[in-house]
Amino acid sequence: MENDEKKYQNVINKLKGLKEVKAPANFETDLKRKINSEKFVQQEKKGFWKNILVPARLIPSLGLVAAAIVFFYVVDTNSGEMDNPFMIEPRVREDIVEVTDYAAVKQEYQKELTKQKSLKKNEPAIKHRTNENELKAHEEKKILGGEKSGEIEDRLDEKDFARDQGITEGKVTTSESTFTDVAKNPQPTAPADTDADMVTGQIITKEELNFRQVQLSPKEQKVVDDLKIQVQSLEKADKHQK
Amino acid sequence: MNKNLRELSDEELILEFQKNSVEAAFEILVQRYKNPLTNFVFRFLGDYAVCADVVQETMIKVYRYKDTYSSVAKFSTWVYTIAGNLARTEYRRQRRRNIFSISDFGEEHKVYDLPDENYRPDVITDSGIKDEIIQKALLKVKEAYREAVILRDVQGMSYEEISEILGVNEGTVKSRINRGRAQLQELLKHIYNE
Repeated sequence: MENDEKKYQNVINKLKGLKEVKAPANFETDLKRKINSEKFVQQEKKGFWKNILVPARLIPSLGLVAAAIVFFYVVDTNSGEMDNPFMIEPRVREDIVEVTDYAAVKQEYQKELTKQKSLKKNEPAIKHRTNENELKAHEEKKILGGEKSGEIEDRLDEKDFARDQGITEGKVTTSESTFTDVAKNPQPTAPADTDADMVTGQIITKEELNFRQVQLSPKEQKVVDDLKIQVQSLEKADKHQK
Repeated sequence: MNKNLRELSDEELILEFQKNSVEAAFEILVQRYKNPLTNFVFRFLGDYAVCADVVQETMIKVYRYKDTYSSVAKFSTWVYTIAGNLARTEYRRQRRRNIFSISDFGEEHKVYDLPDENYRPDVITDSGIKDEIIQKALLKVKEAYREAVILRDVQGMSYEEISEILGVNEGTVKSRINRGRAQLQELLKHIYNE
């Protein structure tokens, strides 16, 4: 350490020989003036809660809270007044389907069905009869000794097998196959001369249409009934004319 | 009363100001420290007007934050620490203002010995001019070294006191002083021959 001081003795001497710089003459008066001016500016330190609860500081936060309340309660984005595209009921296609008297439609439908059934029953019945004739002939043969009982049974089994296969392939022609016949011919079962509206009325049920359930007042209901009667009377009159 | 206060030590005076808010005690402290602090800050900054402001700011801080002073430390250490911090802040502010400083273009920490037009070896007879040259040389020494050198060689403080003021250990203080002295010797070699 002493060696270092000796080494830099010149520098140390020069630094020690520097004149002392003194403060300006008006140092103390300036200082007093600054201190006095700072006393007025200086505010006492406030606590954390005091700072927060000063009314002027509360204004922006209160404004924010008010805005939030307005947004969530006054401007309710989920209100029912707004149309949600996924919640809208489908429009009733009154231009396409207009069924007025369901009882009449049902009656017509039943009639047509019975007609069809009676028509289709004729053919299989004949076939069935031929089958029965064959069986009888075989039985007579058997009784007469022309054919063995095992052969008859085999033949009947083959027929049953063929009929079962026919059901699976849709080729059955027996009297029991009326249902499969309908499946085979996918044309509407209703007769061609029936009205188009009637046909649609037969196929589409009320539940399937997803009608809007309108609660009518008694007065409105009466008006609607009157209109229905008028329409029906007009239709009857048209039919009579035809 | 004032006579009695003048007999008190720095620490007793600040305690008097702390506990009894005796303004006279503070005034005596200002009288005692205004010149040493001005000398210290001026040697560090090299600008007298700025230095006066820094010392006044130091005294205002002593006045305002008198309660933060702890009687464990010496008052001189406390007041020099405040002055040193303020001087450093001011020095850095000044340096930021000089955007195109020559040292920014060179290697880090490299000191450039710029030719001084005012300096002529044949006229270095006046002590005032010598002081000016030394002051300019001091300002070229690195900030950390300069502060330590001024406190030791200009203000005449002990290593222990300097280490407390700068907040570093004594070993660091000594090495900083030596490095600062070495730099100064290099800068002032042309006037040793006289």
